[in-house]
Amino acid sequence: MGFLVPAFLAGLAALGIPLLMHLRDRNEETPTRFPSLMFLVRLPIRTSDRRKVTDWPLLLLRALAVALLVFAFSRPFVGNTAEMTADSRAQRVVIALDRSLSMGHGDTWAAAQDSARAVLDALGGDDQVALVLFDEEATIAQTWTRDRASVRALIEATRPVARGTGFGAALRVARSALISAPAGAPSITLITDLQRSGLTGVAGLELPAGLPLRTIVVGGDTRPNTSLRSVEARRVVSGERVQLQVQARVVTRDLAAGRPVTLSLRLAGRDAGTRTATLPASGELTVAFDAVPAPATVVDGVVSISGDALAADDTLRFTLPADDALTVLLVAADEVPREETLYFERALGIGRAPAVRVERRRPGTVDAAALSRAALVVFWDAAPPTGAAAAALGTWQANGGGVAVIVGPRLAERRSVVANVATPTGLADRRTAGGALLGEIRDEHPLFAPFRSTQAALVAPRFYRYARLDPAVGADVLARFDDGSPAILESRAGEGRTLLIALSPDARESDFPLQPAFLPLMRRVVLHGAGHESTPLWRRTGESWVPQAIRQDPVIAAPDGDLLRPGAGAGASRAAVILEQVGVYGAYEGRVEGAPRDRVAVNVGPAESDLTPADPTELLLGVGESTDSTFRGVTAATSIELESRQRLWRWLLAFVALLLLAETVIASQGWRGRARRATIVSPERSQA
Amino acid sequence: MSAPSHERLLDPALLARISDLPLLARTVVDGFMHGLHRSARKGLSLDFAEHRQYQPGDDLRRIDWKAYARTDRFYIKEYEADTNAGVLFALDVSGSMDYGSAAINKFAYARMLVACLAWLSQRQGDRIGLATFADALVEMIPPSTRHLNLIMHALGRATPRGEGKLPLAIDRVADVATRPGIVVVVTDCYDEPTAIGRSVDILRARGHDVLVFHLLDRAEEEFPFESAAVFEDNESGLRLPLRPEDLRERYQVMWRAHRTALETRFAAAGVDYIPLRTDAPLDGALYRYLDLRLSRSRVR
Repeated sequence: MGFLVPAFLAGLAALGIPLLMHLRDRNEETPTRFPSLMFLVRLPIRTSDRRKVTDWPLLLLRALAVALLVFAFSRPFVGNTAEMTADSRAQRVVIALDRSLSMGHGDTWAAAQDSARAVLDALGGDDQVALVLFDEEATIAQTWTRDRASVRALIEATRPVARGTGFGAALRVARSALISAPAGAPSITLITDLQRSGLTGVAGLELPAGLPLRTIVVGGDTRPNTSLRSVEARRVVSGERVQLQVQARVVTRDLAAGRPVTLSLRLAGRDAGTRTATLPASGELTVAFDAVPAPATVVDGVVSISGDALAADDTLRFTLPADDALTVLLVAADEVPREETLYFERALGIGRAPAVRVERRRPGTVDAAALSRAALVVFWDAAPPTGAAAAALGTWQANGGGVAVIVGPRLAERRSVVANVATPTGLADRRTAGGALLGEIRDEHPLFAPFRSTQAALVAPRFYRYARLDPAVGADVLARFDDGSPAILESRAGEGRTLLIALSPDARESDFPLQPAFLPLMRRVVLHGAGHESTPLWRRTGESWVPQAIRQDPVIAAPDGDLLRPGAGAGASRAAVILEQVGVYGAYEGRVEGAPRDRVAVNVGPAESDLTPADPTELLLGVGESTDSTFRGVTAATSIELESRQRLWRWLLAFVALLLLAETVIASQGWRGRARRATIVSPERSQA
Repeated sequence: MSAPSHERLLDPALLARISDLPLLARTVVDGFMHGLHRSARKGLSLDFAEHRQYQPGDDLRRIDWKAYARTDRFYIKEYEADTNAGVLFALDVSGSMDYGSAAINKFAYARMLVACLAWLSQRQGDRIGLATFADALVEMIPPSTRHLNLIMHALGRATPRGEGKLPLAIDRVADVATRPGIVVVVTDCYDEPTAIGRSVDILRARGHDVLVFHLLDRAEEEFPFESAAVFEDNESGLRLPLRPEDLRERYQVMWRAHRTALETRFAAAGVDYIPLRTDAPLDGALYRYLDLRLSRSRVR
């Protein structure tokens, strides 16, 4: 048994208050008035009589209430005093050190290391420290220890990495480190350049109530920087030649003045051109390189500018996909005239990146060999095959192949289920009514991505005759005619997909081929059906990547030469890999040999190049206080936690309240209550 | 707070019971007065004042026979000099009067008493005046037949406060009341009986008849308080922490001794001493007093 604040026990002197009140037995507020005390003052009034205690129960009640009140304020607890007070002496400091790319600006990193060492030097012998290194993510580099030398060595060995900044991640990991902190006074020291872009993710974060968060901001007030923000690279057709055109966007901030800069372009490891430009002090500039002959294969490129204080964002890598033409097998019966598929074939023949090559085949000739080089099979008003050919098609589709079925009058009359997606129920003839329109379109679907800003283009075509389809269970209706009949349906089949299209690409059944929406929609049917979405030129660090061309046992070669096997042990054939490093990742199937089957360039996010600092108070704005019991040990030294641990004083206060209530009742009842009542009548009242 | 009006001070029901009783001066005062008032200047004034109805005891020689012949009723002719019994009411307005444990406090009771006596005296044709006092004179209205309204207003304005010094106040009354008459002192007599007696002796020596109404509250006599409390003196503000149950008996002894001493001293001075308790009906007390005065007057 002890008292957290024993000084309050001096309040026991207040016990004299009820005693004095009792002995004096006077109420200064309401004395009993009497005409004259001329007789009473002559009477010998014995002091001992006046000091005689006549109401012992009331006196004891009041004295007990005062004593309990004093004990309550002294914060009594059951336990070891030394243990309780020791918590408030030892420091438990989490040093969260920013190692993001921006910390490499000028002398910022050296200043950060100096600050971290200064924090270590300020700790006492019993204090313990944990080290958290953070960029976009955070890790506990050193758990709680008194060994400052090891922490110092870790700080010395750490270098900025090519990653962004995330204060939210840093504080979350620091908070988790505090959970396992030994009893003591915890705090978090954040050493960072406090980039404003790193504040994302802080909102909603909760730290233990009363936890000190100290922010040491390193880096200068002005942080001039020049960075390569983006690169555009695309193949262009110039006569009979395909050339590569590259544009780079350069952003400058807080430069003292505009400065000349030289940009260089390397393609496939060779210099492909240089440009000189004068950058503004703050702003951006787009520089276009001269077009160079482009190979049809995958092209790795690097654009770089002459270095500045932060060299890590002066280089930007990209990977231009190979110009592989997609092969579409158009399966049409012999009775289908050329004119009927003319618009469709011509529409797919226009356009590049990728180019689409249409190969017309008769039904029954779609074998495994043909499928192996195809990205999409289009059945023109014909049902998919059955038997062995169907098995080959199913396998091919399960591995990612796409099937599209154009449902025209021939299939509509057959009235049998098509590709397990829908069953034609007849032919709708809308010629007398001026044709049908598309009435309901799922514009959020990738198939309609080109039309999100121009939805009117899709409702312009008129369809005079079309097949009525009854969707099967599991089929997804992407668009309907204005009479509610499905126009486009989709169904997954393994990793591939099947599209059923009731929109007639035949100019005799609709004016759709003559409308502007025809060409982009047919191209989207091919790309989406083939699973060929647009591939970015590069990805940012921290993103995940799934190699597209690898089906089994992927092996990823990281830029530093490490080999990653994302599918190992996971049982998944297409597991993702986290892109940790800046450079080019190569993906192989089974073993690393030859050229990679897929590759991706990785750069740091452009936000990291914006070195604008935030105010430390902005960091705290989004941080709330948590009373989570998980941090019971963390906040041991705070007053709130101590109060919650020691509930005895609360019970004492409640008991005091009950005592005072009882005292009020007792003192106002019976002879005690009557004793003080006296009637004084004023002249005015008596006359009234 | 508005001053009380005549009607408030003079309860008509109360006046109806006492208006047939004449207030007879006990001694003959210096003036021109006839009737029951024995005056050294009787008959000197021939200034007719008014007729009044004959009342038993009036001098038969003063009956206006002409009026009797006309009205078949007896009327008395009154003259200015005939009514000159000067009555000065001395009212204690010290803080001790502001006390009451019953429905009415001492000061209110005293104010009604003075108002009633003044009205009665006015009907008798006496000159009436008022002196209020505490430790000295507070207000003085000299006796006159036309000062009833002034007296009523002065009574309404009076507020009991301050420390009282009854002997000094009576001395001051004796100084200002130069013409012999009746001095009616209404007080709670909180002072030494011997000192009060000395002052009353001065009044008596100057030819005044003195009546002392001693107003009492039940609590003053019985000291009925039960629990220990702080008692505050209404006049001086002195506070004493007391245990009444221990002091009650000795207090009552002292109180009775005070009363006895007052009675003895006033009797020795030839002063009528009338104790009046505020919980007793006012009209009964007046009736007894007037009856006593009348009987004593007839004895003379």
